[in-house]
Amino acid sequence: MEEIKNESKIKKAFSACKAYVRNHVSDVASYAGLVLCLIVFTITSNGRLWSNYNISVLLESVCVYMIVALGALFVYSMGYMDISVGAQMGVYCLLMIFIIKATGSLLLGFIVVLALTLVCGAFNGAVAVWLKLPSIVTSLFLMFLFGGIQYLMVENTGSSTVSTDYDFSLFLEPWMMVLGIVIVAVIVFYLFNYTKLGKYTRGIGANELTTSQCGVNTTKWKVIAYMAFGVCVAVGALFLLARTGSAGKTTANSYAMDIMLSLILGGMPLSGGMKSKVRCALIGSFTYALLSNGLVLSGVDMTLVYFIKAFVFMIVVILSCRDRSGLLPR
Amino acid sequence: MENEAILVCKNIVKRFGPVNALNGVDFEVRRGEIRGLIGENGSGKSTLTSIMAGMQKATSGTMEYKGKPWDPSTMAQAQEQGVCMILQESNTVRGCTVAENIFAGQISKFSRFGVINMKKMIREAQKKLDAFGVGRIRAGDPIDKYTFEDRKMIEIVRSVSDETEILVVDETTTALSFDARELFYGMMKNLVKQNKAVIFISHDMDEILKQCTHLTVLRDGDIIGHLTGEEMRLPGAPEKIRYMMVGREIGDAYYRSDYDTSHQEEVALEFQNVSVGEIKNLNLQLHKGEIIGIGGLSGCGMRLIGRAGFGLEKLQSGQVLKEGKAINDPLTAIRSGIGYVSKDRDTEALILSASIADNITFPSLDALSKHSFIDPRKEKKLVKQEVERYLIKCNTPRQLVSTLSGGNKQKVSFAKWTAKGSDVMIMDCPTRGVDIGVKQAMYAFIAQMKRDGKAILLISEELSELIGMADKIIILKDFAISGEFMRSPELKETDIIGSMI
Repeated sequence: MEEIKNESKIKKAFSACKAYVRNHVSDVASYAGLVLCLIVFTITSNGRLWSNYNISVLLESVCVYMIVALGALFVYSMGYMDISVGAQMGVYCLLMIFIIKATGSLLLGFIVVLALTLVCGAFNGAVAVWLKLPSIVTSLFLMFLFGGIQYLMVENTGSSTVSTDYDFSLFLEPWMMVLGIVIVAVIVFYLFNYTKLGKYTRGIGANELTTSQCGVNTTKWKVIAYMAFGVCVAVGALFLLARTGSAGKTTANSYAMDIMLSLILGGMPLSGGMKSKVRCALIGSFTYALLSNGLVLSGVDMTLVYFIKAFVFMIVVILSCRDRSGLLPR
Repeated sequence: MENEAILVCKNIVKRFGPVNALNGVDFEVRRGEIRGLIGENGSGKSTLTSIMAGMQKATSGTMEYKGKPWDPSTMAQAQEQGVCMILQESNTVRGCTVAENIFAGQISKFSRFGVINMKKMIREAQKKLDAFGVGRIRAGDPIDKYTFEDRKMIEIVRSVSDETEILVVDETTTALSFDARELFYGMMKNLVKQNKAVIFISHDMDEILKQCTHLTVLRDGDIIGHLTGEEMRLPGAPEKIRYMMVGREIGDAYYRSDYDTSHQEEVALEFQNVSVGEIKNLNLQLHKGEIIGIGGLSGCGMRLIGRAGFGLEKLQSGQVLKEGKAINDPLTAIRSGIGYVSKDRDTEALILSASIADNITFPSLDALSKHSFIDPRKEKKLVKQEVERYLIKCNTPRQLVSTLSGGNKQKVSFAKWTAKGSDVMIMDCPTRGVDIGVKQAMYAFIAQMKRDGKAILLISEELSELIGMADKIIILKDFAISGEFMRSPELKETDIIGSMI
């Protein structure tokens, strides 16, 4: 008798477990992905993954990915996307170098960049609404525009890269990077969960019509969301420049797609909406950075890295697509 | 002597996971009858008919059609054999012509050597349309030109053919206008005359009583009873049927029982010379503590009034005023205390993928936010208060709205506005697709709102609802007011219909 009871208890617990997994496929997949990466790379790199040197290298790349992905959360939770970020960051790095060279002030450079990101954010948010275009189109326009500017800026100097001797060591201190991530993460967490900004952007992603009928000026909040993203892009560009100290024609260009992949790996539905969580940006960008770092550490040929990334990406998409929340952005 | 049974279902069971949608139902459809199926949401009406029409399989049980075992694997197969079902949702293909839609799947009939004879197809389609009395729909036109209602008619024309033996109509008529309904009823009668059968599902008791020759009542997956035509005509039949559906006495307190049309002097919402869309120079005053009902055929412009009142439409002239303030957009409307329950519940009123709590607090966030901070405890308190007020059936307020039944969803869209403390409520068909039990609760809430001094604009396609609830009924016809009626015990539907058509 007792045994039967126990058995049914176990069965119940098991089915509850199953139901939980079914309802949280993308969450579970994102955690599992991270853990799997950690385990596999620990083994394949013979433990070098955890060496002091590698951890600081990892931190440098995680820092940029995470800060930018946290900002991207606002835009992606609306179901929109911004593919101009890579080209923008390239230009911002160059711009900061030029301004430092001319004036010696990093602060001035950062402020100029910050102003620019806000303008671009407003452009992506507002122009898309005015012209009734999907915002991917305006961001496509910005991508080419900034790509061109970046090319011109480097070309005009006559060399293939531009660099600066400015002492960035403060920004390369591990505590500084961690502090940067924590500050941005806390602010984003607050904005995303406890203010109108986060609630409205998720609402827009889930059902824009209903959201606007609840008295939300969707145009205004789209612009604010893109601007919030812009601020994070500026901070991300600063840490990126600190890491490289130089910039060329294609610097940072892959960031737009990297950020998108990071969010997907973190379990973010690209159609945005209520399932968007801050956790998606944190886990996703960490997994993504780990993936790049771990593959190289394990001695995988650089040409193969892309194939492996493609493969991992497919698996994650298939897993998280199964809840049919719609993964593709508008 | 009873007619021959075309379709016999024996001991049909359908399970969805742990839920029993049908517990061993025996059901027969006989030639020459319009068999009404009535029951609350989730009672198993649609499940039963969709099994007959091949949309899904029964978990167990057998069916016999024209004396042979019946187990259609697809709807197309069932339709070919003569069992055809018209669904609640629209099912036409956009971007094609009407003719292409009517002959979807049979296009090869008109092709020769791989070339489709469009002219012939359009001619044939037009013949069919004419035969149904909807010749004004032109077969050569793109389907997107037509309204939802017309598309529904096109769908019906497509489904019904000479081979049809049983036609299943699943709440189709709610989408149709008065004229289209009449056409549709005519078609059902026609089928019956040809010794075929119709299964008719509807929430509308009056419609059921008027159109059906037999009635079957379902509750929680069981058949509760059958009524013959004579039994349906007996006085007191509606009460009896309601009792069978709900399993308890609904009582007389279905609609408002009082005839107190008094209200406060103060005007809560005013339309001043409003011209919007095809409506010209509308004047309307809604007072505090008053329920104004707006009725008419669908397409008469009544929805437009509701939308304009909430600032969703651009006014060509005139203005909508709430306590002297002009309402031009939903934000101003909400801030000045107007709530709007949209007819399109699932696409406009609610975010289905969001939780009950998120939906309820959404319009109130602006007010809850203090120095940018929205206190989760305040949110929780507000949600708890509303869930308790409306007795929303849920395990937790964090449950997604998409998991709720129609009636509970509608409660959530009411709760949004009571949470915000709106004192003017604009309701567009608030009880559409809601079952009787919840309907009764909704009416009680609306009556309570009146007593609390709130002003209500009740837009409805159901005359009985307007007569039952409104202090004043305004009837629209072709975008203009064609009649006004005051609440009284003597007011009958027949008095009003004249000004509608």
